[in-house]
Amino acid sequence: MIPEPHFGWTGTVGEVILGATHSDGGTRSRSYTIGGGTSLPFMEKEKKSSSPLVAFEICDDPRFWSPIVNDFCGDLIHDPGAWAKTAETAYGADLVRLCLTSTKQRDFSDIVSLEKITETVLSSTTLPLIIEGSNEPKIDSEVFQKCGEIGQGERLLLGTAEAGRYRSIAAAALAYNHAIIAQSPIDINLAKQLNILLKEIGVPRDHIVIDPYTGALGYGFEYSFSAMERIRFSALKGDVDLAMPMICAPSDSLTIKEVREADASTRNAIAVEWEFTTSLAAAVAGAEIVCVRHPDTVKRLKKAFVSLNTRGA
Amino acid sequence: MKLAAGKADLDLCPYLDDKAKAVLGATTRPPIKLVKIGVGERSFSIGEEFVLYRHDKTFYHPPGIMFTVSDTQSDDEISAVTARVRDETLTRVGADLKFNGTAIVNTTGTAEAYARAVAAVEKTAGLPGVLISENPQALAAALVLCGSYRPLIGAATPENYKQMCALAKQHGCRLVVREPTLDGLAKLTKDCAAEGVTNVVLDVAPETVGDYLYRSTAIRQLAITREIPDLGFPVYLDATAFEDQDAAIALGIVKYASVIVTSPLSQPSAKAALTLRQNIYTDPQKPIQMNPGLYRVGTPGKDAPVLMTVNFSLTYFTLQGYLESTRIPCFMLIVDTEGLSVLTSVAAGKLNESLVRDAIKKFGVENEVSHRKLIIPGYAAPLSGRIEEATRWKVLVGPRDAAEIGDFLMQEWKP
Repeated sequence: MIPEPHFGWTGTVGEVILGATHSDGGTRSRSYTIGGGTSLPFMEKEKKSSSPLVAFEICDDPRFWSPIVNDFCGDLIHDPGAWAKTAETAYGADLVRLCLTSTKQRDFSDIVSLEKITETVLSSTTLPLIIEGSNEPKIDSEVFQKCGEIGQGERLLLGTAEAGRYRSIAAAALAYNHAIIAQSPIDINLAKQLNILLKEIGVPRDHIVIDPYTGALGYGFEYSFSAMERIRFSALKGDVDLAMPMICAPSDSLTIKEVREADASTRNAIAVEWEFTTSLAAAVAGAEIVCVRHPDTVKRLKKAFVSLNTRGA
Repeated sequence: MKLAAGKADLDLCPYLDDKAKAVLGATTRPPIKLVKIGVGERSFSIGEEFVLYRHDKTFYHPPGIMFTVSDTQSDDEISAVTARVRDETLTRVGADLKFNGTAIVNTTGTAEAYARAVAAVEKTAGLPGVLISENPQALAAALVLCGSYRPLIGAATPENYKQMCALAKQHGCRLVVREPTLDGLAKLTKDCAAEGVTNVVLDVAPETVGDYLYRSTAIRQLAITREIPDLGFPVYLDATAFEDQDAAIALGIVKYASVIVTSPLSQPSAKAALTLRQNIYTDPQKPIQMNPGLYRVGTPGKDAPVLMTVNFSLTYFTLQGYLESTRIPCFMLIVDTEGLSVLTSVAAGKLNESLVRDAIKKFGVENEVSHRKLIIPGYAAPLSGRIEEATRWKVLVGPRDAAEIGDFLMQEWKP
């Protein structure tokens, strides 16, 4: 009898809770506990691996968004509330990720508009939320403070902390009990360093999701794939400073040449194919949240994840 | 010595008994056997892999992706698919990516139709092939036509393996063996070896992509640790068996498949599959490099901008893509950082002012443009002063993200 494959793991990927329901003081219809893996993704022996979550990304200023998505989604792109609701009810997303792209405008300072949008999106969808905050370090503190406050009790996932730019977001997460995304440039050592920095200022391990940065397929994806595999490996080998779940956000997928320059008849198909292939490979490398922008990618991924988590006799 | 280095085969020694062969064989041959499919220019080798993770070393032999044709199709249809596999090329990052061959399916179950289909393929191109049939007579008829071209035939099961082995042995083909359990597979490879067939590939007969992932990972782990030498063979994946064929292909590429059979892919699926395969099988120890030099985007004139960057191919092709879409003709000055990216070459001191100065001289940039302005990458900003001093060119610090180069040139560039 051939033994089950054994890898000698001693560690476990830590768990992070996203979203709070009524019983936990929030207004979300569900809450997710991600992480908890004790082997390679989809290789658990006793229990099922938790299925990766699919986050649908929306934005508050579609001028900074892919024209392919803008054309596909139509008027929704001007109404983040309706867009978020559609992501939940029609696209079938597990999470909504609101990217505050309006902060990309030169000299942006309209914090009040960000508050309104965050409130609208929170009240329009019952899904747990990821909020991707400011694009400008000068207003970080105000933006994260406001978003954190509005989402108090909802267990948001706030993005994105980087080395040299993590204090404002960490302060908001600590003050209002949210989790945060910690991003490092495709390097396991830098990922670990940032986690240690966050630990030193008091962010608990179970409030951190690692973003190892995802290069688009064909544009450095192999580096991200290996960084994710190495992080998962280190977590399972017992390195607690890397034992957090990971998020994959290949946000360049829709701006690379193959997609950008595709002709009208194939552009949707190639956009979906690019997001789908990247997300699936990332999930197998260890990502527990994958972010996409094209509505058609969502259901396809969810189906594939179910099949990955199903084993015959 | 040759044996230890894996350069000689144990079977060459007539004096060893079976026990000694088994002991020596397990430690001297690569943990996963090298199997060559096809003959000629487009033949490919699979197996001889050593690691579970590409970052531990590298993956050596990319999977062959084979498009299916069926003997229910007309000669013209079969010929069209075969010609597509022969001709279609995706050029990315300086490499020509191609699909590898055809998988000819005996859907009708009859020998006549099958022989006709195989003849239609062979008439069009001499590509590596997979012959898939439940009917040994049909395979025998097909092998008369293409048996000497080292095709892969399948699939051998515990019920038919003796017949299949006889065919494989007679023609020197490679053999797919199919069993859903690892115990069953190990037994089957042993039985085939006893029949004299060792060029086998393993089909784990998955019902779901989860089955595939679990079993192929288990096989890789048990093979590279030499725990179960009878599983030390490349893995075969029939992606047509799944509802989302693209998902199966992607999983096959990242998780250890060596031959992937798929129906002919749409353009988007084809591009994604070839690109993923190129990514995963890039050697992580050696970044792909560009030759240093002065490259043109469009037909730049004397007043065109000059953009300096590193010779990491990914940096080059990303920047080039964005420059092309700005439609502003320009020069790219690629300096030799031995394939390091901008960020890492700045950190390592590899990208420095003398490298830039020497590159300007060496590639004759001063004769190409009438101005003396150099745009450098945003992440090289700390070097701007020193580059100005060393080159006596005015340095403009460009954006960190290549995607913003268009806006940057519109707003900042004046010769």
